[in-house]
Amino acid sequence: MKFIVSSTYLLKQLQVLGGVINSSNTLPILDNFLFDIQQNKLVVSASDLETTMSATLDIESDNEGSVAIPAKLLLDTLKTFPEQPLTFVVEENNTVEISSNHGKYALAYADGNEFPKSVSLEDPSATKMAGHILATAINKTIFAAGNDDLRPVMSGVFFQFSTEGLTFVATDAHKLVKYTREDVTASQTAEFIMPKKPLNLLKGILAASEEDVTIEYNDSNAKFTFENTVLICRLIDGKYPNYEAVIPKENPNKLNIQRTQFLSSVRRVSIFSNKTTHQIRLKIAGAELNISAEDIDYSNKAEERLTCDYQGDDMQIGFNSRFLVEMLNNLTSDDVQLEMSMPNRAGILTPVDGLDAGEQVTMLVMPVMLNS
Amino acid sequence: MPNDLPIRKIIHVDMDAFYASVEQMDFPELKGKPLAVGGSETRGVVSAASYEARKFGVKSAMSGVLAKKLCPELLFVRTRFDRYKEISAKIRKIFNEYTDLVEPLSLDEAYLDVTENKKGNPSASLIAEEIRSRIYKEVGLTASAGISINKFIAKVASDYNKPNGQKTVNPEDVLDFLEALDIRKFYGIGKVTAEKMYQKGIYTGLDLKSKSLEYLQQHFGKSGSYYYHVVRGIHNSEVKPNRIRKSLAAERTFNENLSSEIFMMERLEHIAEEVSRRLKKSKVAGKTVTLKIKYSDFTLQTRSKTLPYFVNDAAIILETAKELLYQEKMTNSVRLLGISLSNLNTEKKTKTKVEKPIDVQLEFKF
Repeated sequence: MKFIVSSTYLLKQLQVLGGVINSSNTLPILDNFLFDIQQNKLVVSASDLETTMSATLDIESDNEGSVAIPAKLLLDTLKTFPEQPLTFVVEENNTVEISSNHGKYALAYADGNEFPKSVSLEDPSATKMAGHILATAINKTIFAAGNDDLRPVMSGVFFQFSTEGLTFVATDAHKLVKYTREDVTASQTAEFIMPKKPLNLLKGILAASEEDVTIEYNDSNAKFTFENTVLICRLIDGKYPNYEAVIPKENPNKLNIQRTQFLSSVRRVSIFSNKTTHQIRLKIAGAELNISAEDIDYSNKAEERLTCDYQGDDMQIGFNSRFLVEMLNNLTSDDVQLEMSMPNRAGILTPVDGLDAGEQVTMLVMPVMLNS
Repeated sequence: MPNDLPIRKIIHVDMDAFYASVEQMDFPELKGKPLAVGGSETRGVVSAASYEARKFGVKSAMSGVLAKKLCPELLFVRTRFDRYKEISAKIRKIFNEYTDLVEPLSLDEAYLDVTENKKGNPSASLIAEEIRSRIYKEVGLTASAGISINKFIAKVASDYNKPNGQKTVNPEDVLDFLEALDIRKFYGIGKVTAEKMYQKGIYTGLDLKSKSLEYLQQHFGKSGSYYYHVVRGIHNSEVKPNRIRKSLAAERTFNENLSSEIFMMERLEHIAEEVSRRLKKSKVAGKTVTLKIKYSDFTLQTRSKTLPYFVNDAAIILETAKELLYQEKMTNSVRLLGISLSNLNTEKKTKTKVEKPIDVQLEFKF
């Protein structure tokens, strides 16, 4: 059995798939790419048991069969070649021989049947959207997802599909992001929690993609199909917290401010904050926003004054500056609005401009209770 | 008054030669005789001396050998801490009939804040007198007392008419009293500091008062500010009913001076176990391990190391003490080794509560 494929074309696909492979595997077969050779077609797969991603490549082949080839060895080799056709010959003695313009290389392979089969989705629902929209949705939300093993549901992004629009939510109990697209709809309502790893992979691949992504899903798995690639992953099992209930409805205090100015002030002041709490203090009175931080342990202190557009009562509220920086950094608008009710209730950060039609971003951040 | 706070009434009660007096009370044949509690003629340290022995210059913390030399008639008896504790508890009960603000310093000393007392008696001097006579009637021992506006002056005053006497320093006399006071009598100024002060021409409270805060801080560090304020009658330390333990120690004087680290190791192991047992009994742990070494020429050396975590385990304490022991070559043969643990976790707890407000990151209530 033998096939011929372009070296850079193969490398490009394998580098994307390589992101699925864990650096240390309990199952040694997972250190391999599965090469499934069909008539003038090659399907390459990588898996970590939770997530399996496959790409279909056009090749010249003389036969059909499947082999598992060590991923690292193959990637390291391919990276060194300039563009050229490579001939893969699968020998009977369990080695694959690659011939290039420069010479010959033999790799031990395992039988393709040892590679875990990816699941097939039973009676899935499907929704279609532009790749870049999904990438943006992931980008806006994933940073807010938690890392707590004790609350696995919060370590993923919550996908909420309905006939009115799509909503993506992530939270770690301190901060929360809700991203809504009303310009894309699903044929029926569905909810599922996507783990972070496949989302990060999708985010990278789809960032500049104008092509559509088809998402199929049932209770336990989701499948993303786009261009020549398919990604199937297991969903996080469990009930997502009722996030709507924690979004304060009455927020009489509204602060409007230029985003980059606010961000750079928070960044500077936070350098002087306590190294464990990262706490900064916002004091708002009239049209002035006072941002301050103090690290009592080292007698470090900073204070900045900004002019802002503020409607509401004078107030003082503490935040973890890292959360504010992450959120302000994730937004792209010129101006942002921070709505607050009480110093012990969540602040709501929203962009004032720069949104697409039908796009909504709501960010929530819980304050730090100030002691004095 | 230099103090903005309302004037307090503090009594310092100090039992007269407590351990020795208890022994003399329990064993009448010892009455009137020079007596040393603890130690022996050849070894160890005197814990307390009776007034008869003090006439000869025998003092607590003096070595048995030296005490015997000063007073050949001296009788040595063993310490009976359980008995002292029992009597101390009786005395404390009497204190508590007057006020709950009682801060025991040891078994035989305590501060009482009687600014507001249960008897409604406005005179602290009369209360002190009453307490002393009740101790004598109910326990059979004499006590001395100092009465004034803060702990520092009360403590100094209790020594004034000792034994079996008391001294009141009224608010209007505080400054004169302190000015006339010998620097060595200041609580917190020991032999070493006193010598340092003498070298700088400071002999009395008046001399001390003439120095600026900066000067004192420069020469005496952190204590400088304490001296500066105390001589001006300012000492706001409260009478704390629950005195927080700051350190815990165990030490052993050896029958023969040890010159090899190998022999010390074995003793150190016992001491570490003892410290660990005491720590566990008090349910505390400490970060700083201090090794105390007393050489045969009576010079004292301490070496300490602060660990990044709290320990009360004998093995870790021993390990740290060993490290300290080998840190430097012994200059002489050793007669005493001790290990103390400080920086205890009891201290920290209250400190963070009082001094450092803790900011709480709030969570969504899912």
